[in-house]
Parts: sequence; C-alpha cells; structure tokens
Amino acid sequence: MTLLLPHIFNGLTLGLLFALIALGFTLIVGVMEVINLAHGSLFGLGAYFALTIIGAGWLSDTTFGVWWLSLPIAPRYILALILGPIFAGLAGMVLELALRRTYGKVPLYGLLLTFGAALVIEELIRLGWGTGEQFLQLPQSINGAVLIGGLIFSKYKLFAAGFSMLAIAAVWVFLEKTPYGAIIKAGAHDSEMVRALGFDLARLRLLVFGLGAGLAGLAGVIMVPIWGLRPHVGVDVVIPAFLIIALGGVGSFWGSVTAAILVGLSVGITGAYAPAWSMMSMYILLILVVGFRTRGLFGKKSALEN
Amino acid sequence: MVTLSDISRRSGQWITPQIAVFALVLLSLPFWIGPIGLYQYIGVEIAIWIIFALGFNLLFGYTGLHSFGHGAYLGVGAYAFGLFQLHVGVSLFGGLLAAILAAGVAGAVVASFVSHRRGIYFALMTIAFGQLFWFGAVKMHWITGGEDGLLNIPRPDLNLGVTSFDLSGNTALYYLIATLVIVITILTWRAVNSPFGRILQAIRQNEVRASFIGYEVWWFKWVVFTLSAMFAGLAGGLFSMAQESAYPDVMSLHQSGLIVMMVLVGGGLVNFWGPILGVVLYFIARDVLGAITETWLLWYGLMFVAMVMFKPEGLAGFLAELKRPSEPETWTKPAEEQ
Repeated sequence: MTLLLPHIFNGLTLGLLFALIALGFTLIVGVMEVINLAHGSLFGLGAYFALTIIGAGWLSDTTFGVWWLSLPIAPRYILALILGPIFAGLAGMVLELALRRTYGKVPLYGLLLTFGAALVIEELIRLGWGTGEQFLQLPQSINGAVLIGGLIFSKYKLFAAGFSMLAIAAVWVFLEKTPYGAIIKAGAHDSEMVRALGFDLARLRLLVFGLGAGLAGLAGVIMVPIWGLRPHVGVDVVIPAFLIIALGGVGSFWGSVTAAILVGLSVGITGAYAPAWSMMSMYILLILVVGFRTRGLFGKKSALEN
Repeated sequence: MVTLSDISRRSGQWITPQIAVFALVLLSLPFWIGPIGLYQYIGVEIAIWIIFALGFNLLFGYTGLHSFGHGAYLGVGAYAFGLFQLHVGVSLFGGLLAAILAAGVAGAVVASFVSHRRGIYFALMTIAFGQLFWFGAVKMHWITGGEDGLLNIPRPDLNLGVTSFDLSGNTALYYLIATLVIVITILTWRAVNSPFGRILQAIRQNEVRASFIGYEVWWFKWVVFTLSAMFAGLAGGLFSMAQESAYPDVMSLHQSGLIVMMVLVGGGLVNFWGPILGVVLYFIARDVLGAITETWLLWYGLMFVAMVMFKPEGLAGFLAELKRPSEPETWTKPAEEQ
C-alpha cells in the first residue's frame, strides 16, 4: 500500500489536470449541447499564443521586444497565462458565429463543423508556428522538484493541480451561484422561454462558447509544460476530454470532474505496473462503464442522444 | 430537401443505368486517367476508398449511426491480410477472406457493445474502441511490428484455377479492385433498397417508432455495424496489398475522421452515390491542391466547414437541387431532423 501511495497521489494530480482539460468542454456540452471537437485545437492555440507572448514573437527584434525579453520570466509568464486564454476565447467566439447555422438541426452537424474547424486550426498552427516540438519557459518558483514526506514531487505538477482546483471551483460558482449561470442553464433547458423573458440568447451563447474556449486555452497554457507542444496536440487532448464527458455523463458538471479523477487514477495506477499500457486503461474504463450504464455515471437526458 | 429515403421507381433492380455508367467509367479509367494528368495509383486508392465509403455509409447515412472509429476495421483488415501473406501462405483469396473475417469479428464484438447505444454515446464508444485497436496495433509489436508495421507484404497473383494473373503492376491490381467495387456497388444498392434497407432507414428516422413496429432495433444495428466493418476489412486488405505494407496510421483517428468527411462532403446523407463522389473529390483535391500548396488540408478543411454550414447535404444534395429546383420550401424539414 505504501508503495502504491505515490502512484495514487500521482493519479489524483493527473485526474485534476484531466478535469481542467475537460472543463471547457463540459461547459459547452452541458449548456449548449454542442460537442466541440475543436476543443483540443483551441487548447493548442492558447498554448501557442502564450509561447509567443513569453518569447515576444514577431516583436522580438524591436526595442519593445528587447525590453520585454529583458524582464524576468515571472511577469511574462503571468501575462501569457492571462492573455493566452483570452485569445483562445476570441477564436472560440469566431467559431461560435459559424456554428450558429447548425443550431436546431441534427446535432451531428455541430460535431462535424467543429471537427473541420479543428483541422483548420491545426493547419493554421503549422503555418504560424512551424511543425516542430516547442517548449514553454517557466518561472523558477514553480519549476523543479520538492520533497514531501520523503517523496519527490514535481513543483509544477502541484501548481497545475492546485490551479485546476481553483478553475473548477470558479466555473462551479459561476454556473451555480451567479445570475448568469442561472440564465445560461435556463437557456439550455428551454431556450424559447428564456428568449420570451427578454434575455439575448445569441449573446449568451457567444459568451458561453468564448468562456469554454478560453478554458481550453487556459488548460493549454497550464498543461503544455507537462505534455509538450506540437501542432497535433489537439487530438491528444480532445480524446481524453471527450472520454471524460461520456464517462461522467453528458450534462453533469460533477460527473465529469469525478470521471476525470477516475481516469487519472486508472492511468496513474496502470502506469505503476504496465507503463506502456497506461493510456489504454482509460478506454477500457469507458467501455466498462458506458457498456453497462447507458448515460455514463451521472448523465441526464440530452438532445445529443438523438 | 432530398433524403436517402426517396426510393426511386427502379429500386428493385439489380443493375440500374447509373450502375452501368459507373461500371463503364471504372473499367475504362486506365485509358483516360493518364491523359487527364493523373496516374494509375490514384485510381487504385480511389477504388479502395469507395469500398470503404460505401460500407461506411450503410451505417452513417442509411442507419444514422455516426461511427467515428471506423478506421480501426480498415486497419484490422490490412493487418489480417498482411499476417496471412507473411505467416500462412501467399494467397489472394485467402488473404482477402482473412481480412474480411477479422474485421467482421472485430466489428461484431464492438457492435455487441455499441448496438444498444445512440447518438453521442454511440459516437464516443466507437471512438474509444477505435483508439483501443490503434493502441493495440502500436503496442503489440511482436504481432504487428509496432510503429513500423508489417513491411514487404507480397502481392499475390490472382489465381483462377485455369489461369492466373500477375498483380504486381498497378493497372492489373486496379482491374481487380474495380471489379470488386462494381460487385459491391451492386450488392449495396440492392441491400439499401431491400426490406432490410428500409428498416435501416426507419431506424435512422426514428428508433423508437421502428421498435414499436416490432423490429429488434439493436439486432439490425448489430448486423449493419458488422457488415460495414467487413466492407472496411476488405478495403483494408486491398490497401495493404496496394501499399505492400500495413501500419498503425491506417487505423488512426485521422483516417476515421477522413472517411466521415469524405462521405459527408460527397453527400452520403442524401444520396446513394454521395460517398463515391466524396471519395473522388477528396483524392483529386489532395493531388490538385497538394500540387499547388503544402497546406492543402487547410483549404480542404475550410471547404468542409463551409459545406457543413451552407450545404450539409453535400455535393450530391447540391446536384439534386440543381435538377429539381422547384421543390416547395415547406418540405425542407422532415420529421427525422429533430
């Protein structure tokens, strides 16, 4: 058991990171009943924006760029952590404008449109940032290792897990404790009534999609130091996110958080015994659960089932 | 709007004028593909993907089951063919039979899990199983050769007892595949216009109603899933024969997504010929756009997005509308589009 303890801890950390990855996806699925297959690409986009902000990008030769690069890494990282997700969110809003044409039609169309968008974003990333593997610089204070109870942990992983808990709490507060959350949820439930009450549903949807895309970008900035960054990072991300939603059940916020932690645990513990197969365990987990429970762990009835 | 359920008057026939024209085009292709600036191997690729796409559309267009992991069965077929040639014996029919059977078994197992699922959960389960197969192909290197895959798979001769043909040339291989495409086109055409095909379409339009009429919906879903996996297996076997190798990329998510795109762009949702149009369009776009720009996938992706936004009925739907533009607008939203 004591031998297993670090793996369980690792799995929990990983689970929290998975939850962060799935957060924006859950928000959009739960509220708008749109499967955003471009989620992974927006994740990549946010990370690439952060990369450019930290490295000053095209401005690196100008006096501003030189001044910016002379600053210590911490303020540059913090700015990237804020602006990267915002840019990803804006890209998401553009996508939402295109998606409008599919509302009220077969749910498949939304899925296909975002699938095409994922392809387009990935190619744009290749065009803008090249095809090679890239790395994000980190401030010293969250880099390196730390010793807790005789075990070595990566400081950054702890930071990322803590950050992920904060993000989950923030989204939950937004959905459950603010009037915006109430309107958004009502809009998902009965859009006609919400419109009749005088709320601008089109703007709300734009906001939610932007928020979901922004969360994807945030997850990108946070996760990339752990996973590395390449143009096709989107596929590596959208599949676990997708899986977590199905496992937790469409439309359930805590369902997807629970599912993410379960996935993290199963990947972490499998990793202890058969590292080569660790990522496969999540697919088996999904098949076992959804094989027996039609709507995942806590799923509700959804238009996406048709 | 046109739908797949617009049953034509000649539906009971085995061979329609369209099929005859299609067969003629296929068989004469080696004579004109060079002069129009393309090459023989693209004909082989197109023919293989037509088999894959026709089988896939039984599931996707006709039954309305959106599988996003169909590349897996293409890959299973490719590996089965390769393993048969390398370990059992060099034989064309043996290899193809092994490919069809292996993919059929894989499909049948997956179908038993997914045939009770609908909509998004169905799509998710097919993705999960697709990834499972892909992972297996990458990790079980003692069988599959890992990331490199199976190399130097021999191209067996076509042995008909009295005579045998050497298939090492692409033209000879093309004729074999084209013949198979014609046979499969006729079989699928007959299948979708049979009572079985009608039931599939009833399931697409409303699963609950179909079960109220008394059909065992999950059984039909199981059968059509297995059937389309077998088509994919045949295509995969031919693919590994054409490539003389089988590798994990064949069953990647990328391939599974490509087939969805091709079928949709062509108009598989509204027309029997949609998948074929889509496959042809994709390969020509790949070669023509690919010659102009390295980022041709960007343009193909943009075209796909525009298609979903403005014309989700695809190319076939577009052509059908050109043919009868006078259809009243009030009919554009049938009950199935909930």
